[in-house]
Amino acid sequence: MNDDDLWLDALLDDELDAAASLALQRRLAAEPVLQRRFEERRALRDVLRGQATRHAAPDALRANLAALLAPGAGANVARERASARRRAALPWAAGLGGALLATLCTLAVVDPAALVWQRGDAGGAQLEAEASEAVSAHTRALLVDQPIEVASSDQHTVRPWLSARLNFVPPVVDLAAQGFPLVGARRDVLSGETAAALVYRHGAHVISVFVRPVDPGSVPGPQATRVVRGFNVIERTQGGLAFCFVSDANPHELQALVDLVTPLAGRQAPAP
Amino acid sequence: MPEDPQGRFAAAVLPHLDAAYNLARWLVRDAQDVVQDALVRALRHFDGFRGGDPRPWLLAIVRNAAFAWLGARRPGETQVPDDELDAALAVDAPPSDPEALAIRRAERREIDAAIAALPLAFREAVVLRELEELSYRDIARITDVPIGTVMSRLSRARHLLALALRPGATRSPT
Repeated sequence: MNDDDLWLDALLDDELDAAASLALQRRLAAEPVLQRRFEERRALRDVLRGQATRHAAPDALRANLAALLAPGAGANVARERASARRRAALPWAAGLGGALLATLCTLAVVDPAALVWQRGDAGGAQLEAEASEAVSAHTRALLVDQPIEVASSDQHTVRPWLSARLNFVPPVVDLAAQGFPLVGARRDVLSGETAAALVYRHGAHVISVFVRPVDPGSVPGPQATRVVRGFNVIERTQGGLAFCFVSDANPHELQALVDLVTPLAGRQAPAP
Repeated sequence: MPEDPQGRFAAAVLPHLDAAYNLARWLVRDAQDVVQDALVRALRHFDGFRGGDPRPWLLAIVRNAAFAWLGARRPGETQVPDDELDAALAVDAPPSDPEALAIRRAERREIDAAIAALPLAFREAVVLRELEELSYRDIARITDVPIGTVMSRLSRARHLLALALRPGATRSPT
């Protein structure tokens, strides 16, 4: 041990201010022995960083964290509250059975008949509950660290994979040039219906884009933007498809992706 | 502003779960229990988290949980003053021949064993610096010691690792 080592380490760790760093580098240039010791320190660091085991959190731990957050979480409470209000507003719906009700209440439904009651008192809370479900799907995917079933940035790989498994074809396009590289896709279930989930990356953020078909004759609804449990959610219906964008990216960045993706809905896909 | 604390907590903590587990795993045998305990504490005290980088905040809680675990089982280990560590280990001056400190090619197993053999205070400094790449300031916060102590612990830890991994060093038993 000597004091030189402390300085060498601080230089290696990029903890010296500019003046101290410059002074030490002058010494290194003049003293080969010191320079040599610095190189060894750096070699040791490279070996440690490159080779030492980084233990990844086991799946059981992730599952337990999910469980820790699930019971009594805001999502469940909001959903129960929403469904209670829905039942009050729609006494006839109570008899329809869970599955059909769930289908009726899928996110961003714009069936004209549905619009009537969505605008009512129950509408806001109900859409909120659906957004909440999309956020849960997004979070689940992050928790198990497997947000994708088909990992590819190539739209000609992802698109056929999805169309072979779904009865509709969502627009799939890599937007790496615009700052949103396509990571892949998976299937997910929202309100009892299968949806396509496209996964994009934007910087450090993962973005899930849920896409489901709606009645082609339906009127495109207004865009809805909300924050659910810390995630930004933007819903928009276009070209017979209901889109739901979920991410912790900021709303402006998310909106940029919305504006890139949704206009592609209903357009003829470019020939592969 | 996200409306519910659980959601904010998930958003803050999820990206750092691997780091939390890695730190715990290098400090104690029963890392999963320790991290779980830490997450429960973190959630309970999430009100006290005032924004900023959640990583050092979470790692400090994990580190405290790990020390509580160790303290209950091996009380001696968590309380050794640094100067005693030096004496016990006979950390001496670097050899005058710089060649002697060259790092030989080593396998992951040997490197892991060398880190695992470090005294607790040195081990946590190395893991936080080299594997989690935290700044001295964050390491000082997490391990609750002054920055100067972080520097000397890191330096000593690196010296010990260099000795363990130098050419001709006895390979650690497997």
